Amino acid sequence: MRIHLRVWRQAGPKTEGRLVDYTAEHVSPDMSFLEMLDVVNEGLIAKGEDPIAFDSDCREGICGACGVMINGVAHGPDPATTTCQLHMRRFKDGDTLTIEPWRARAFPVIKDLVVDRSALDRIVQAGGYTSVNVGGAPDGNAILVPKPVAEQAMDSAACIGCGACVAACKNASAALFAAAKIRHLGLLPQGQIERRTRVVEMVDRHDAEGFGSCSNEGECEAVCPKEISLANIAMMNREYLRAKLFSR
Amino acid sequence: MPSRSVLSSSVGTKLLIALTGIALVLYLILHLAGNLLVFFGPESFNGYSHFLLSNPLIIPIEIGLAAIFVLHIFKTVQMYIDNRRARPNSYEMKRMAGHTSRKTIASTTMIWTGLITLAFVVIHLKQFKFGELYEVGETGVRDLYRLERELFGNPVTVALYVVAMLLIGFHLRHGISSSLQSLGVDDPSRTRRFLTFGTILAVVIAGGLGVIPVVVYLTR
Amino acid sequence: MTLDSKTPSGPLADKWDRHRFEMKLVNPANRRKFTIIVVGTGLAGASAASSLGELGYQVLSFCIHDSARRAHSIAAQGGINAAKNYQNDGDSIQRLFYDTIKGGDYRARESNVYRLAQLSVNIIDQCVAQGVPFAREYGGLLDNRSFGGAQVSRTFYARGQTGQQLLLGAYQSMMRQVERGTVRMFPNREMLDLVVVNGQARGIVVRNLVTGELERHAGHAVLLCTGGYGTAYYLSTNAVNSNVTAAWRAHKRGALFANPCFTQIHPTCIPVSGEHQSKLTLMSESLRNDGRVWVPNNPQDKRPPQDIPEQDRDYYLERRYPSFGNLVPRDVASRAAKGVCDEGRGVGDSGLAVYLDFTDAIARLGRDVIASKYGNLFDMYRKITAEDPYEVPMRIYPAVHYTMGGLWVDYNLMSNVPGLHVLGEANFSDHGANRLGASALMQGLADGYFVIPYTLAHYLGSSSLPPVTADHDAFREAAQATQQRIDTLLKVKGRKTPRALHRELGRLLWDGVGMARNAAGLKAALTRIPQLREEFWQNVSVPGERNNLNKTLEYAGRVADYLEFAELLALDALQREESCGGHFREEHQTPDNEALRDDERFSYVAAWEFAGVGKPPVLHKEPLAFEYVKPSQRSYK
Ligand SMILES: Cc1cc2nc3c(=O)[nH]c(=O)nc-3n(C[C@H](O)[C@H](O)[C@H](O)COP(=O)(O)OP(=O)(O)OC[C@H]3O[C@@H](n4cnc5c(N)ncnc54)[C@H](O)[C@@H]3O)c2cc1C
Ligand code: HEM
Ligand code: HEM
Ligand code: SF4
Ligand code: F3S
Ligand code: FES
Repeated sequence: MRIHLRVWRQAGPKTEGRLVDYTAEHVSPDMSFLEMLDVVNEGLIAKGEDPIAFDSDCREGICGACGVMINGVAHGPDPATTTCQLHMRRFKDGDTLTIEPWRARAFPVIKDLVVDRSALDRIVQAGGYTSVNVGGAPDGNAILVPKPVAEQAMDSAACIGCGACVAACKNASAALFAAAKIRHLGLLPQGQIERRTRVVEMVDRHDAEGFGSCSNEGECEAVCPKEISLANIAMMNREYLRAKLFSR
Repeated sequence: MPSRSVLSSSVGTKLLIALTGIALVLYLILHLAGNLLVFFGPESFNGYSHFLLSNPLIIPIEIGLAAIFVLHIFKTVQMYIDNRRARPNSYEMKRMAGHTSRKTIASTTMIWTGLITLAFVVIHLKQFKFGELYEVGETGVRDLYRLERELFGNPVTVALYVVAMLLIGFHLRHGISSSLQSLGVDDPSRTRRFLTFGTILAVVIAGGLGVIPVVVYLTR
Repeated sequence: MTLDSKTPSGPLADKWDRHRFEMKLVNPANRRKFTIIVVGTGLAGASAASSLGELGYQVLSFCIHDSARRAHSIAAQGGINAAKNYQNDGDSIQRLFYDTIKGGDYRARESNVYRLAQLSVNIIDQCVAQGVPFAREYGGLLDNRSFGGAQVSRTFYARGQTGQQLLLGAYQSMMRQVERGTVRMFPNREMLDLVVVNGQARGIVVRNLVTGELERHAGHAVLLCTGGYGTAYYLSTNAVNSNVTAAWRAHKRGALFANPCFTQIHPTCIPVSGEHQSKLTLMSESLRNDGRVWVPNNPQDKRPPQDIPEQDRDYYLERRYPSFGNLVPRDVASRAAKGVCDEGRGVGDSGLAVYLDFTDAIARLGRDVIASKYGNLFDMYRKITAEDPYEVPMRIYPAVHYTMGGLWVDYNLMSNVPGLHVLGEANFSDHGANRLGASALMQGLADGYFVIPYTLAHYLGSSSLPPVTADHDAFREAAQATQQRIDTLLKVKGRKTPRALHRELGRLLWDGVGMARNAAGLKAALTRIPQLREEFWQNVSVPGERNNLNKTLEYAGRVADYLEFAELLALDALQREESCGGHFREEHQTPDNEALRDDERFSYVAAWEFAGVGKPPVLHKEPLAFEYVKPSQRSYK
């Protein structure tokens, strides 16, 4: 197959970027999307040109490193699929793909398709944990967790921190990301002790990092490779209300 | 970092918008019910409005309603500006993701349908609340029935109302289910129902109100 | 040099307790005066950073990723072992110890492995307290499964994402310390040199991958938690940025590299589809619980699998290993697959694959049961291959997966360079010649949560550590050398891409130092590797600049290190004239093609000392003594 690409090239955080046209020749349908970019880059490197910078690591949809906008949709057209898992058989010979980085005030572009997502780390840092030091934990089976609760917590905990939710949201809101952690810990008995402070701290940090608020459009859920549902945001809002009404 | 007030955080803002939004929706339901009395003749309609206007609670209620309205506008406009700032550089190409997304024309135009509602309400109040003061005989009862028949005798006014109601319908199409999600009552097992409920209620309110000027005009 | 493993004396079961009592402590008030450099934020690094931060040390935490949460540990699927005996099926610390020693084919230290088994139980408790959503039974108790052919159910899991959940638990704990100010995070940093001052590891040189700046960081001890070197083979199940760079540079500064030839090939991976392939995807081993492995009897048989009748199929694992069948250990299953493909009976376009067939299991248990057990794996397979495993048998082939070898460490996880500690997959310590499924996660967390807090305190408490700052000459020298290397890479301006050269190296290693090795092949590899290295430095193309984000430059540096390391890997394999675990020398096999150990001559750890690029390294041997388990021939018949 031959694929036409329009790729966002931006040399650095402060320089202007623009879309540049490339053609990927001999694309095999079995290639992953990133492998297709690899091949384009191989061509550029061999010519001594600076290749297209993009993030990736595990290439199996779990590390959350990869992620670009493909024809205006975060992680591309397939549901529940990261960019690295998207395969070229999804496209047709002659297709044109526009590839852009995640865009948000909280995600400044570093180079080309690579953005700085450390704001997500700082949301976790604000309270996305249980404050238990190593050493004093009770026996694992001393804490019973009903199976359905464990399953729901796992649904939320599956978030890979890719930031697609922010990229897709018209408000560049990280509500889904924050909510997934709040719900994961908020459902489990282990998370109850800090339940109220956690939600408040994390929401405050989310705002301070410059993410927008949620208008309940659900684009985030639709592009989320781990299908984190809007129920997480609903629970976050509930928890927030509770924390504000009943604490202090 | 000091914990921000419940009213100003992203989630707190949304809670407030949802609560004021729901209050406004409730008002519209009552307003619809009351206005439908226009089909039961002048007595019922004027009686109803007289009952409202002569009620000593009307002033505080109106003030409360106005406050809610202003708060809703203030918060949504402020949030809109903040949200725009959260993405200073827009995409060269952006498409709807489809799948489970709830994004619709309605959801993307909330601020515009809202602002048009605001404009509508100003005109609307000028026409009705601050409009011509007809009286039913010498009873002191305001003859709104007559006012309404006069106003809606004008096809331009009718068209204006119909269009306004359409846009308000859009606002509510996203707004009603969205407010339930904002308040956290949404849950995957109920989402479908909430979305349907929101749409139906939006159609009933906007449709119900929109029908009034048209019927009045046709039965002129 | 004599290698002192510092194994405490006394009965096996008491060693760790006794050692903990005998070790020095650091006064709580003094801890914040110590700066600890932790390189890597995988299970080993994140757990070490968080527990040291909790204790009050000043921790500097580095990783190559943009976020600590992306460490390769995130990809582990199957689970983590612990000798909890929650299932009442006869498990015990002793049994986990025994299984691990035997699984490692008697090439691991008894004392280390026993401690690992002991600590395994604490890991689960800690992780549960952190909120790791382990699978539960209906009564709310923790669920277990049997994994990797173990006869007891001791594997704890969180769907197919156990590594992810454990890592997020450790990462969150670490981020809590970041908030408290005890841990400082340095993401997007690649360690490019170890700084040794007066014989002690006192710091590192890192490249800031975003700005290109070389930074020097000084501390009182350095913890390397940088993972394994599986990507030396280019194609592996490891994440594409995994590397040997940090460990190799430490090796070049004096740290011994132990048992590099002990690499693990995982039998159930999705086969290679073409030249463009950048990595291989693991299909969890648990699939072998229900899937049956087969190839056609006849190499000429090119019918689609559904059309091949029973009598024309060879279920070779069931045939050759009647009692373990499809559940034989990884190394055995992998070699068997290679064997049938070498006979020309491999399937698929490349002929490098065997079938893993669920037809019987679906008929017996129903599609729903199979879907609930393996649904996500089936989906993943379908995403990659566009084939539906419910209808057509999966095609699988072995792939490089894990590296048992690593920097040599003593019982305290300290290398021969004082102050340089090595944790997790980066060290060589606990898995001998073959790692059992679900044991790497256990080791990483045991090292970080429960071993290093004690042994590091002992080191700090018992050493004299004069103040050293990053202006010290040793730092300047290291930074300069690093800068020079970077500049050289940029100056070559050749025509081959780092990837092309890496791919060549990978193919070379896979053929010569892969699943089955022999002297001739190893020698051939040993002549080819220096040539390829030569070609690299003559002809590599690294566009772009040094002072901003330059992924080609990063990658080229890693490939350059692999080109040096590969020689050691092949040399170690050549030196070890026996077959054990993942290391199979064709010259040394039983009549039924099983690995044949030579305990007389090779019951030792091979620890190599660097002598210069292209110069023969010096071999040091740490003899292994087995006091509690009698080495025996592994048999899975
Ligand atoms: C697909 C797959 C599935 C697996 N499944 C299981 C399983 O089910 N059970 C099990 O027990 N084990 C499993 N393993 C093995 C296990 O995941 C790893 O052995 C283990 O996670 C390694 O952890 P680590 O902390 O040592 O290193 P890693 O998690 O690899 O972390 C390395 C860290 O070092 C950093 N780093 C690397 N190089 C540098 C450098 N030069 N400078 C600075 N930082 C650097 C990285 O950024 C990263 O933070 C699996 C492995 C794979 C590949
Ligand atoms: C009778 C009039 C109105 C009613 C019944 C109403 C109702 C609602 C409701 C129910 C919501 C959903 C709240 C949520 O998402 O949680 C909403 C949202 C919104 N309203 Fe209104 N509204 C009215 C007038 C206005 C006006 C005058 C504006 C003008 C600015 C406005 C702007 C908005 C905006 C921008 C939102 C979207 C909030 C978001 O993005 O999340 N509304 N409205
Ligand atoms: C076609 C639809 C509508 C009709 C026929 C209608 C009719 C009326 C009438 C007859 C009054 C006068 C009542 C009075 O002054 O006592 C009135 C008042 C009012 N209407 Fe409407 N209305 C419509 C739509 C709306 C909408 C969509 C809104 C709000 C978004 C609205 C808001 C109000 C308000 C705030 C008042 C003043 C209430 C008061 O004074 O207490 N109306 N309307
Ligand atoms: S919620 Fe989904 S889209 Fe957002 S970061 Fe997590 S995995 Fe990515
Ligand atoms: S797309 Fe944005 S508006 Fe809310 S539901 Fe998702 S965060
Ligand atoms: S590269 Fe890890 S999720 Fe895509």
